[in-house]
Amino acid sequence: MKHILLLAGIVIGLALVPLVITKAYILNLIILISLYTVLSHSWNILGGLTGQISLGHSTFFGIGALVFRYLWVMGAPSYLALCGGSISSLLLASAIGFPAFKLKGHYFAIGTLALSMIAIITVQNLFPGVSFSPPQYLSKYSLVPIYYMAVTVSIIAIGLVYALTRSKLGLAFISIREDEDAAEAIGINTFKYKVISMSLSTLIAGLGGGLFSFYVASYYYYVPFELGWSFDPVLIAFIGGPGTVIGPLIGSVCFVLLKELFAINLGQMNVLIFGIVFILTILFLPEGLIGLMKRLQKAKRFGLSGRLRDGSI
Amino acid sequence: MEKKKWLKKGLLVTGVLVFMMLTAVSHVLAAPAPPTIKLGAVIALTGAMAAGGKDVRAGYEIAVKHINDAGGVFVKEYNKKLPIELIILDDESDSVKTTTRLDKLYSVDNVVAFLGGFSSDLNVVGMATAEKNKVPWIGVTVAAEAPFKKGFKYIFVPFSLAHDQVTTFYDLLDSIPQDQRPRKLGHMELQVDWGKECGEYIREMAKKRGYTIVADLKYAPPTRDFSSLIMDLRSAGADAVFSVPTPPQSIVIVKQMKELNYAPKMTLFIRGPDLSTYGDAMGKDANYIVSDGNWDETMRYPGNDRVVKDYRAKNPDVTSIGIPVGCAYGAMQILSKAIETAGTLDREKLRSTIGKVEMMTVRGPIKFRENGSAIIKYGFRQWQDGKNIQIWPKEVAVGELRLAPPWDKR
Repeated sequence: MKHILLLAGIVIGLALVPLVITKAYILNLIILISLYTVLSHSWNILGGLTGQISLGHSTFFGIGALVFRYLWVMGAPSYLALCGGSISSLLLASAIGFPAFKLKGHYFAIGTLALSMIAIITVQNLFPGVSFSPPQYLSKYSLVPIYYMAVTVSIIAIGLVYALTRSKLGLAFISIREDEDAAEAIGINTFKYKVISMSLSTLIAGLGGGLFSFYVASYYYYVPFELGWSFDPVLIAFIGGPGTVIGPLIGSVCFVLLKELFAINLGQMNVLIFGIVFILTILFLPEGLIGLMKRLQKAKRFGLSGRLRDGSI
Repeated sequence: MEKKKWLKKGLLVTGVLVFMMLTAVSHVLAAPAPPTIKLGAVIALTGAMAAGGKDVRAGYEIAVKHINDAGGVFVKEYNKKLPIELIILDDESDSVKTTTRLDKLYSVDNVVAFLGGFSSDLNVVGMATAEKNKVPWIGVTVAAEAPFKKGFKYIFVPFSLAHDQVTTFYDLLDSIPQDQRPRKLGHMELQVDWGKECGEYIREMAKKRGYTIVADLKYAPPTRDFSSLIMDLRSAGADAVFSVPTPPQSIVIVKQMKELNYAPKMTLFIRGPDLSTYGDAMGKDANYIVSDGNWDETMRYPGNDRVVKDYRAKNPDVTSIGIPVGCAYGAMQILSKAIETAGTLDREKLRSTIGKVEMMTVRGPIKFRENGSAIIKYGFRQWQDGKNIQIWPKEVAVGELRLAPPWDKR
C-alpha cells in the first residue's frame, strides 16, 4: 500500500511539473533524463537482465526515430507515430537482429556493433538531408506535450522492467545471464527467451527513437543512428546498476546533469571524463551506484564500515 | 461667458499638465534598462567543425569589442546605449547539442537574438530551434537553401547560397582562356542538403555552359578515405574538381590526391581551405586550391582594416585569415544595426526590422530577400605561394586564378 501511494504521489507530482516549472530549460533536462532512461532501460532488458551485451541499439533507436518522423510529417498523431516507430524497430530486429543470436558473448557484441555501423552508413546515403518538423508544428511549438510523452514512455519502460524482475520471464532472463549453458541444461529454451528479451528491448528502443524525433525539431536523418546511441545506454546502465529497475534512471540523472555541466564548462573534454568514469565504475563499482548504495546500507546495518572500506562487503 | 472661457483655458492647461506629468511618470515607471543586450551563439569549438567555429567566434568577439568600445548599441526604448553581452556555448560539432544549447540560451539566459555557428550542417538544425522559440537568428556560413523553402520567419543569413556558389564556379571557369580551360568536370557530392543542392546545380548548369561531368561521385559526412573516389576522378580524366567537404575532409582529400599523383587543373573546395588553420595544416600542398571568398582581409570596405588588425594582434602566426572571421563580424554589424533601428529589445519587433536592414558591412553591401537569404556578391580565394588570395569577383580580386601544375612541379 505504501509503495502504491508513493508511486501515485510521484506520478501526480510529475504531471504537475509543467504547471509549476515555467523554465523551458528544466523541462528540457527532464525530457533528456526520460529519453536516456528509456534508451538505457531498453539496453538493460537485453544486456542487464539477459546478459546479451548489445552495441547495436542505435539501429533500433534510429529506426524508431525515422519511422516516427515520416508518419508524423504525413499527419499521423504523435502517439500513433510513436507506436509505428516502436513496431518497426521490432520488425527490423526480427529481420536482422535475431539472426545475431547465432553469435555468443563478445561475438554478439561485435556483430551488433557491425549492424549499427552498417545502419548509419546506409541511412547517410539513402537519407542525406535534414528532417524538419512540420512548419505548422513549429509555429505553435510547446515542450509540454513532449514532456508528457517523455515521462509516460519512461514510466512504461521502468514499469516493464519492474514487472520483469518479478516474473518467471524475468527469472528466465536472469538464468541466461548467469549461465546460459546451465539454463539450457535445466530445460530453459534460451533462444526463445533471448528472442523475447530482444523483442521487448527493441520495442522500448523504438519508443525512445520516436521520443527523440518528437523532441528534436530538426536533425539530420543519420543523427539518431550515430554510435553514441549504442554506447551511452551501456555507460548509463553501468553507472546506475545493470539489471536493476532504478539503476538506469539514476544513471540517466547523473549522465544528463553531469554531461550538461561538463559540456558547458569543459567542451569535448566531457567525453574523456565519462570514459574515465566508465572505467572506474567497471573496476570499483561493477554493480553501479545501486550496488554501492546496497553496500552502504549493509555496512550501516552491521556497523562494519571498516569492512566496507577494505572491500569485503 | 468670461467664466466659461476661464474654465476652458483651465481645462486645457490641466490637460497639458496631466499629459506632461503622465509622460514624465511613464518614463520613470518604464521597465528599467537591462545592464546588457544579451545575445547567444552556439558554435562548434570542438569536434570536426572546430576549425571554422573558432574563426566564427573570433569574428563575433572582435565585433562585440568594437561595439562596446564605442559605448554599446543605442536602444531608444531605454534612451541609452547598452553594451552587448555575447554568451557562446560549444555544441561539440554535434547537431543535437546545437538544439539543446540554443534551448538553454533561450530559456535560461533569455537572449534577445541568436547568432549562428559554423557550417550548414549544424546551422540548419539551429535554425529550426530558433524558429520554434521565436528568436531572431542571424547565421554565418550557411549555404544550404532547404531551410529557406520552409517558410521560416526568424531566420536571416548574410551568406551566399548554393545556387550563387555554383554559378560563380562556372563564371570562374569561363574566365580561363579557351585553350587552357578545363572542360571535364569531376564532382564529389557530400551527402548533406547543401552538397546535394550544389550537385543539382552543377549538373543542371554544366550542359548549358558547355562542360561535361565525367565523374559524378557521392560520399557520406564521416568518410575518411577518398582513394577510390580519387582513382575514379583520375581514370575519368576530370581536369576540374568541385566539392563541399567538411574541414577535416578537405585536408585528407588533397593529401590523398597528392599520394595518388592526381593533379586536376583546378580543385575547388568551398569549405575547409577557407579557414585560418588550413595553411598550417597543409603547408605548400595548399597551393592552387580554390575556396570560398565571401570575405577577405584585403577588402576595402569600411572597418575591415580594423578587424584584420585586431585579429592579427591576437593571432600573429596565421598566414591567411579564415573567411568566417569577416562574415561573423558582418553578422554582428547587421544585428546591432537592427537593434538600433528597432529601438527595442523586443524579439518580434527586432525580427521585422532585421529583414529591412540594408547596410554596408566589412564584407560589402548586404540586404535580405523576403525569405531571409541575402543578396550578396560571391567570390573565391586561391592558395598561392602560401597565402589565400582573393581571385574573384574581379572588382575585389588582388590576384588571378592559377591553374595547378602536376604535383612534382609545385
